[in-house]
Amino acid sequence: MIEDLAGAIEITQRIEAPPDIVFAYLVDSRRFVQWMGVGAELDARPGGRYRIDIDGQHIVSGEYQVVEPPRRLVMTWGWEGHPTVPPGSTTVEITLTPERGATVLRLRHLGLPDEGERRQHSEGWTLYMSQLAGAQTLPSPRRGGREEP
Amino acid sequence: MPKMQVRTRNRSVPLEAAMEAIASPRRRQILRLVWAAERSAGEIATTVSDVSWPAVSQNLRVLRHAGLITERRQGTHRYYKADRRALGPLEVILRQMWTRDLDRLRELAEDEARSRRARHD
Repeated sequence: MIEDLAGAIEITQRIEAPPDIVFAYLVDSRRFVQWMGVGAELDARPGGRYRIDIDGQHIVSGEYQVVEPPRRLVMTWGWEGHPTVPPGSTTVEITLTPERGATVLRLRHLGLPDEGERRQHSEGWTLYMSQLAGAQTLPSPRRGGREEP
Repeated sequence: MPKMQVRTRNRSVPLEAAMEAIASPRRRQILRLVWAAERSAGEIATTVSDVSWPAVSQNLRVLRHAGLITERRQGTHRYYKADRRALGPLEVILRQMWTRDLDRLRELAEDEARSRRARHD
């Protein structure tokens, strides 16, 4: 039976470290920037806000909703200035389950925009995809050029 | 190796295939070409003219196997378009981002756990 995950991504990862160490990497700015982004301001308490500079160009920000060390973290999530996924529009839930000295991390990214909404912003997505995926070699979109049907 | 599981709303997607497919600038270029409209193989080959057709064809195959584009055959012609219903680039971007970053988090946390164990020994 496949769980209904409409508009969601789920990633499960086993980490050979206890939950308290893993949790520290989620909420401690100094540790956080070692695995995500180039800068981070994290105020990890319920109602606290965070801001992550992903690459010097794109900012992810949101608000912590649940902070339960070292087991669970829920926060709103969005790209500042993005047409379909602005801050507050999606939710990231991370749960840490201890397993014989290790930790099973489950990340769920929920509330992603549906296909109809995304279709209206397809060009924005394509550009964003190219930026985030580091496609410097991708040509800029042409208007009325040979790429048009 | 970490075990990764990824699901989108419609079906399970092989993570490795999708990530590998989108890791190539050339394939992202092709994906963008077929994003908004269906294109014939000829149109794609004409636009992506700085590499040989076999190379383009191989990239189309990789994208198709990753579930990112669909192929339609009509007579001797083949047409391609992005399969946004099955796997929108949003999921690809986010999956790629989270997977890459969580993998880094895993390495860092495991290093720190090893240091802690070493101190306690």
